[in-house]
Amino acid sequence: MSSGNKLPNNLPQLQNLIKRDAGSYKDEFLKQWRHYQSSLQLYKLTPGQYTKTVDELTTFLAQVAHCYPEELKDYPQQLRDVLQASATVLDPTMRMTFVKALIMLRNKGLIEATTVLELFFKLFRCQDKLLRKTIFSYIVSDIKNVNAKHKNIKLNTTLQNFMYTMLRDNNPIAAKMSLDVMIDLYRRNIWHDAKTVNVIVTACFSKVTKILVAALKFFLGKEEEAVDSDSEDEAPKKSAKELMLAHRVGKKTKKRQKKLDRALQVVKKHKKKKKTETFNFSALHLIHDPQDFSEKLLRQLETTNERFEVKLLMMDLISRLVGIHQLFLLNFYPFLKRFLQPHQREVTKLLLYAAQASHELVPPDALEEILLAIANNFITERNSSEVMAVGLNAVREICARCPLAIGEDLLRDLVQYKSHRDKAVIMAARSLIQVYRHSNPELLHKKDRGKPTEATKEHRSLAYGEKATRDFIPGADILLKAEEQTQEQEEWESCSEEEEDYDDDSEGWIDVHHSSDEEQEKEVTPEEAEDRKRRAQEVSVSRILTQEDFKLMQQQQLAKEAGLKQTARKRKRQPDTREESGELPNLGDIENVHKKRAHDRDSRLATVLAGREGRGKFTGGPQKMNPHASTTNKQKQKNKVFGMVKHNMRRKEKRSFRDKQLALRNALLKRKKKK
Amino acid sequence: MSKLNRDGLRESIDAVLKHSTDKKRKFTESVELQISLKNYDPQKDKRFAGTVKLRHTPKPKMKVCILGDQVHCDQAKANDIPHMSADDLKKLNKDKKLVKKLAKKYDAFLASESLIKTIPRLLGPGLAKAGKFPSPIGHNEAIVGKVDDVRATIKFQMKKVLCISTCVGHVNMTADELYSNITMSINFLVSLLKKNWQNVRALYIKSTMGPVQRIF
Repeated sequence: MSSGNKLPNNLPQLQNLIKRDAGSYKDEFLKQWRHYQSSLQLYKLTPGQYTKTVDELTTFLAQVAHCYPEELKDYPQQLRDVLQASATVLDPTMRMTFVKALIMLRNKGLIEATTVLELFFKLFRCQDKLLRKTIFSYIVSDIKNVNAKHKNIKLNTTLQNFMYTMLRDNNPIAAKMSLDVMIDLYRRNIWHDAKTVNVIVTACFSKVTKILVAALKFFLGKEEEAVDSDSEDEAPKKSAKELMLAHRVGKKTKKRQKKLDRALQVVKKHKKKKKTETFNFSALHLIHDPQDFSEKLLRQLETTNERFEVKLLMMDLISRLVGIHQLFLLNFYPFLKRFLQPHQREVTKLLLYAAQASHELVPPDALEEILLAIANNFITERNSSEVMAVGLNAVREICARCPLAIGEDLLRDLVQYKSHRDKAVIMAARSLIQVYRHSNPELLHKKDRGKPTEATKEHRSLAYGEKATRDFIPGADILLKAEEQTQEQEEWESCSEEEEDYDDDSEGWIDVHHSSDEEQEKEVTPEEAEDRKRRAQEVSVSRILTQEDFKLMQQQQLAKEAGLKQTARKRKRQPDTREESGELPNLGDIENVHKKRAHDRDSRLATVLAGREGRGKFTGGPQKMNPHASTTNKQKQKNKVFGMVKHNMRRKEKRSFRDKQLALRNALLKRKKKK
Repeated sequence: MSKLNRDGLRESIDAVLKHSTDKKRKFTESVELQISLKNYDPQKDKRFAGTVKLRHTPKPKMKVCILGDQVHCDQAKANDIPHMSADDLKKLNKDKKLVKKLAKKYDAFLASESLIKTIPRLLGPGLAKAGKFPSPIGHNEAIVGKVDDVRATIKFQMKKVLCISTCVGHVNMTADELYSNITMSINFLVSLLKKNWQNVRALYIKSTMGPVQRIF
């Protein structure tokens, strides 16, 4: 019984024994529990000191808490009380012990999440970096676990409300940490709702620069940051079928069976998980009142004396809000105009913000002053060609969003730069022409409008506030025509069966009118256009269009633009690339003023790689004509085990140069002697 | 081939109409088209919005207000259409509450071409916030016809969720009228989507108080 006597001092051993058989060690446990109670009372008198007994006993009790839930009912409460009462004055080690004990209890499910998390948020006020870091990662993981299966809405709302108060806490570090928690949870798609976003909105008006910047950066965040890289989300490497196949070969042992079951379970679980699609609406879309938010931000921006970088962030956010939600923020444009000078720091970004803040509902006069400022300050001959090109690019980006912003005179002036001596300026001017060819060709000179096509004839530029309302689906008339054609073809088929394959070929094609061969048809009379419209209307109300119909219509619409395509064959067309990039303009589009080298590294590499295609691997010597022909002994030897051919190799080893030299010398001497 | 065919659609329309006649309400129920999307990433793909004019007016009782110059105001008065002049708008004094009240009072607005550019400055953001920014009306257009156009026009706009619903008719319409309206709006919506039918998860029609009928 010597081990029994040691138990009071040997806590890890007792802990081990209790975990195995809780009932029989109850007496020892109760002794420790009483010991803890008394020493805690003592400790409370001097909380700043490190006390070893309390430290060890706290950990011990937390470890065995699940074995005696009845006895330890008020243990968590005690821990909380200590931390709540004297969190900031506690000894750092002791504080960490208490926190870890609470975390353990929480992980065992012995206490409610809300009480612990609220306490932990208060602990962010402590001057202890390690503690804050521990708590931060714990809070994130705990909220993640709570919401793993399904969202616990009640808990989330209480915590979010609590965080809202924490953000206004007078301790900046605590406020920053709770903001970080929220941002992290948002990024991990756990708190992915409007409420979180709107709590973060309030942080954009913080007096503390760090909080302000963190909140601003959150809203400006890039997509790649939002990608969640949790290890458990990784897809299993093999499919169920592959796993079964791998199991079929080889010995059937219990261990292998178990392994297979486990792997199959993972596959199944993953399959289930994949079904729930999450839709990432970016945070900007979830803001409740963007108009009010942007107005407040602008007011803050005008009065603030933060650094220029912070101001830039604010301007970026305001302009994105305006662009995405189509807000009216008329004071923003004159504010932005002040910065539009070629020598301004980060001027390309500021031009980008001007482009972001423009949308089709902005009154044209508000944007016109910005365009005039750009034209006067950037696009003049006294500036370098890069500056001019940047200015033209910015004008293009603004006009692509708001075609009405520019007047006819200004546009025609700017377009004149298409014959400038510098390539970058020429390209920028041409891209501006390209934009207006699509949106409002009437503003351009007749020679700049490009070759008229069917698409441009149908096009009508929109007035301010007008929406492109249609009462038919563009291109639907082709379906009626196609139906007629197929009917005709069917009739033909019934007459002569030989033409079958010809008909199949012709189905994929649509007739594109050529101006040369059918001069009179090219002139689309108003009646014909009217007729076409009527037919399109007829089709679009009478039947549901199928996927194939839509494909046909798209082809038709593209064919109508055929004339335009010929001019822009070499380059990718500008409007298309913009549509792909989403809702915001790119900085790259504005800064794109550098000439590309005719044959740069990428294109050279491309040609090299193209040359290598179909060449096959390096091989020694010429290949056999017939791959199935027999092999020589020499080739066979290559596949043999080395031990088998070692002696063979040595015999046939080549002589070294030195040996050959010696042999040659001797041979020559011998020959001389003979003579 | 889509799962949606003519007969199925007709059956569901009949079911909707039957339900509304079985249990008559004290108002005219409207018929609504609900769409849920799939394979659509709101962050990457372009947001789509579109307006389409239907053949049969879905909302005949819609209240339209004319914000007009002298000529339009006179015309509106002659036709008994609610109207406001620039001076009336100035009286609102950009007061947020008054503008909000105005936006609430009417379902849509029309503004004279001469006036429309000044509206953001006159009224502030209130109208756009309510999604009721006026459409322009010229002097050579008939005011009554334009108002009817507005009543016949429906808007598809995606907001914070991947579902869209729009009113496409009312239960006092005949089945044929409803059929043509619904077909038109489905066709238009699907033509807006990048991958057409591959982006559509489900389509439903329902009347205001009736149960939903899944049509796709």
